Amino acid sequence: MYAYLFPVFYLAQEAVTEETTEAFSIVALGNQLLNGISIVGILLLTGLGLAITFGVMRIINLAHGEFIMLGAYVTFLMQSTFGLDLLLTIPFSFLITAAIGALVEISIIRRLYGRPLETLLATWGLSIVLQGVIKLIFTAQLKYVKAPPYISGNLTLLRDAQGSAAIAISYYRLFIVFVAIALLALTGYLLYNTDLGRQVRAVTQNREMSKCLGINTSLVDMVTFAYGCGLAGIAGSVISSLKSVSPPMGQDYLVDAWMTVVTGGVDKLIGVLAGAFLIGEFNAGIAYLLNDPTARVIVLAAVIVLIRYKPEGLFTIQKRS
Amino acid sequence: MLVARGLLLFLICFPHPPHPLSLIPHPLKMSQSTIGIAKRSQLPTKLMTISGIIFIIMAILPLFLGSFQVSLLSKLLLFGALAVSLDLVWGFTGILSFAHGVFFTLGGYAMAYYLKLNLAAEGNTYGVDLPDFMVWNGLTELPWFIAPLKYFPLAAIAMVAVPAIFAYLIGWFIFRSKVSGVYITIITLAISSALTTFFISQQAYTGGTNGITDVSRLSIFGIDIPLNGLYWMILLFTTFVLVGSYWLTQSNFGLILRSIKENENRISYLGYDVASFKIFIWTLSAGIAGITGGLFVPLNRFISPVYLAVAFGTQVVIWVAIGGRGTLIGPVIAAILLGQIQNYAERVTQDWQLVVGILLLIVVLFIPDGLVGSVSKFFDKAKKQ
Repeated sequence: MYAYLFPVFYLAQEAVTEETTEAFSIVALGNQLLNGISIVGILLLTGLGLAITFGVMRIINLAHGEFIMLGAYVTFLMQSTFGLDLLLTIPFSFLITAAIGALVEISIIRRLYGRPLETLLATWGLSIVLQGVIKLIFTAQLKYVKAPPYISGNLTLLRDAQGSAAIAISYYRLFIVFVAIALLALTGYLLYNTDLGRQVRAVTQNREMSKCLGINTSLVDMVTFAYGCGLAGIAGSVISSLKSVSPPMGQDYLVDAWMTVVTGGVDKLIGVLAGAFLIGEFNAGIAYLLNDPTARVIVLAAVIVLIRYKPEGLFTIQKRS
Repeated sequence: MLVARGLLLFLICFPHPPHPLSLIPHPLKMSQSTIGIAKRSQLPTKLMTISGIIFIIMAILPLFLGSFQVSLLSKLLLFGALAVSLDLVWGFTGILSFAHGVFFTLGGYAMAYYLKLNLAAEGNTYGVDLPDFMVWNGLTELPWFIAPLKYFPLAAIAMVAVPAIFAYLIGWFIFRSKVSGVYITIITLAISSALTTFFISQQAYTGGTNGITDVSRLSIFGIDIPLNGLYWMILLFTTFVLVGSYWLTQSNFGLILRSIKENENRISYLGYDVASFKIFIWTLSAGIAGITGGLFVPLNRFISPVYLAVAFGTQVVIWVAIGGRGTLIGPVIAAILLGQIQNYAERVTQDWQLVVGILLLIVVLFIPDGLVGSVSKFFDKAKKQ
């Protein structure tokens, strides 16, 4: 009865009946949860840069996905021209995307501080421009990046009766999770235990006062934004070998990164980890019960509901306002 | 219940120019001069003459143009109306939405089902009264929620009602909270992204990535509408949208909308229910966008998730930004000009999007008022000196 009132629900049910032929087995669930872990790694990695540019600096950066894309292209370029290993290209993509980020901050973002809607529009324009420029240089063709051979293969957690792998996760996906957590720790250290980090936090809390105390606020802004973009670049490099590299690839990661950051809340850096974990496992769980597109739609809807009730994110300190 | 509430809201908010908003509490009984935002003007005779002449020229234009040009011009006029609908919420009320492509497409799908189902009824090679994409996806009968769209009146109602109700639900959900402007924009991005995924995944019902293609020509109650007829319908519709929006924004209702954009807190301190105003204009604008989409389908001959995607929503935002938010004619001019340029540019180059991005950046950084806004500001300055 309920199903006939709501077409969406009805359609979702249709999807369920299609999928029920697949047995609800422990093995499938285990695989899906591990798959969730690898999604968590990717979300964390792509969301981290945004946690800096949006979380710390409150810049609505819709070009974040394009910085990920730039990082991936740097890796592709290094690998195809110099034959460099993927891991060795990571510093280059950090430096190059950070440099482009600094340029963007000076030329665009700086003019629009305090005007969030304008910043949103400008960064959206920037994202279209970056896509267009990359398309001009590299054409729209899909590019492929080789993963390093020594992190290939699967880690098998459970074997079935025949001895073949039943529950397994590839080493490369574990590597992504590792890189993401390492970067999170590094960023946390920089932000909370160094002079630069203290200056960054001071500027975001009270710009005028920081200026009075002699902090070069515009330099701090530039460095912070460049660092956030550099992180996006690293994410792009690491992710590049998972799928193909193409100009519009950043768009998908943009939506995911935003969901992660918004869910986790931006008060504490650790919120990103929580957001990534929640969305990743939630997504994998629903995808196990229903199917992938439905899972994505439901997760997006859940994030919208979340923004409605807690725009400051789930994991924030209660403040009196 | 929901519809009744929407109707009530509509009645309450509906502006009556001589004594507007008599039902809405006026705590301070303020006159326009105390608000001091914009003066209310009667429709000036000069403006009326000029628009009349333009209308007549536009009306006789198809007699001198080829069918390709007429079809292009009709599309551009529709894009103009779509831009005006976004301008109502963004330029006047300050809600930036990337979801107008979604409302447009929802209306478009309603009309596309009507056209497709009528084509299927005329008899196709499959021997069933089913659209081809449903047959390919193994459906044997028409889903109950699509079947009524076979009849024109119902399809026409759905074309407005589906996007309007969808928008009403979203608006009811998000505007009655303390969510700020930027988050609302991000929500519209998420909606657009989610619906695109959803429409692509429900291939049996929506035609998937291809959408609904090869629809029939528009015929209403068995009468075929020729291209010129469609053009005149669209011209009338766009004119109606423009005139209606002008009247709406010049009324006290429009004045309140503009004050919401300027200072939302202040308006709510004065006792206005800001959320109701936002929901109303948001729903109205979605309804207009839906009709635009519905009229677009017979011209375009297909509708697909391409128009749901954020890229199309961005296109609409760019028309409004370049034309000038808060001016009504600006977005129309920008939509027509840019659409025309795009039409030629896309034959020469693959990189039209790059040009669009650069334009958007330039407009945001250097001409925030848009072209028409800057020009009128320039003249205002010149007049004062």
